[in-house]
Amino acid sequence: MDEAELFTTYAATHDLALRNKIVERYLYIAEMLAKKFVGRGVEYDDLYQVASLALIKGVERFDPSQGVKFSTFITPTITGEIKNYFRDHSRLVHLPRRVNELKLGIRKAAEELAMETGKQPGAREIASRLGVSEEEVVSIAEAGAVVSLDSPAPESERGGDFHELVAAADDGEIEVMEQRDVLESAMKGLRPCERSVIEYRYLEGLSQTETARRLGVSQMYVSRLERKVLGKLRENLKKGMAE
Amino acid sequence: MKDLMQLQLPLGGDIMTTVRLTTGGICSLAGMDLDSSEDCKVCVTESLLLLLHAGYARAAVRFFDGEDGLRIEIAGMGTAADAVSAPEDEISEALLGALAARVSFEKRERLTGVIIEF
Repeated sequence: MDEAELFTTYAATHDLALRNKIVERYLYIAEMLAKKFVGRGVEYDDLYQVASLALIKGVERFDPSQGVKFSTFITPTITGEIKNYFRDHSRLVHLPRRVNELKLGIRKAAEELAMETGKQPGAREIASRLGVSEEEVVSIAEAGAVVSLDSPAPESERGGDFHELVAAADDGEIEVMEQRDVLESAMKGLRPCERSVIEYRYLEGLSQTETARRLGVSQMYVSRLERKVLGKLRENLKKGMAE
Repeated sequence: MKDLMQLQLPLGGDIMTTVRLTTGGICSLAGMDLDSSEDCKVCVTESLLLLLHAGYARAAVRFFDGEDGLRIEIAGMGTAADAVSAPEDEISEALLGALAARVSFEKRERLTGVIIEF
């Protein structure tokens, strides 16, 4: 059976055996694409699994009547899933290498000391073993931890949670106007295409795909540009607040 | 558009690491983040593979600092030998389309160059 026949038959029958046959036929694409993204901190096996699952989803969604070859359709689909996987499995908080190394060192030293003495070591003993200050051990042991907004805030005088320390979003029209002013001035430093992305995405509420279509670029480019622009805006806002 | 750098290189496995490192350095100069820079490296090596399959033994890679970001022009050099029909070429082309902001393929009887914009 040729490609069109395979997919047309599958669309009509939803025969699982046929779907598996299609997946097996195109599994080389998942393998090939997974290999292209090796070396970015995720194991090949994980990438291959993500790519294979994307392939299965793609087989379900592919419509041969659109006139596009399956390989052309599935490559961006798999690539997108792999990139989402990278995004979702990156650390929430990126720590400097020295901090990461010391964090591992603390864990190792704590295990060794516990084995040697038969009791859990304190920060002073770990610090002495590693040749660093006690304060450093305490602060680095906490580094990278993620705290829920619902957890109690230790510095809150009223004994509330972190939510209460964060300014309420709905504080009246004046605040909204102020925010708009600040945002307008932060956007002044953006290039025209960067402004367009923000306008389409956040003022018109368009999807990344629709934004990409309007700008005549790929969806992935919009995704990258959006991330970059938001970072830039954050920096501009910080500068604006500091001034 | 500012011409950042031009490389002329033989197309072979040995040189790919050097090209990737150079591309990474230029992406860094252009202010791109790590993720985009990795995508850009994939695009450059895929383009070179496409030119290798088109029969070229050498290629020129030119990096430009464009108005909207980095522009990379990759062209086959000299006379091309017989093209090798590689089934993965269409996947490489689709991958370039997915990763780059814009990509165009220059084709006469065969592929002669790739232009990537990031």
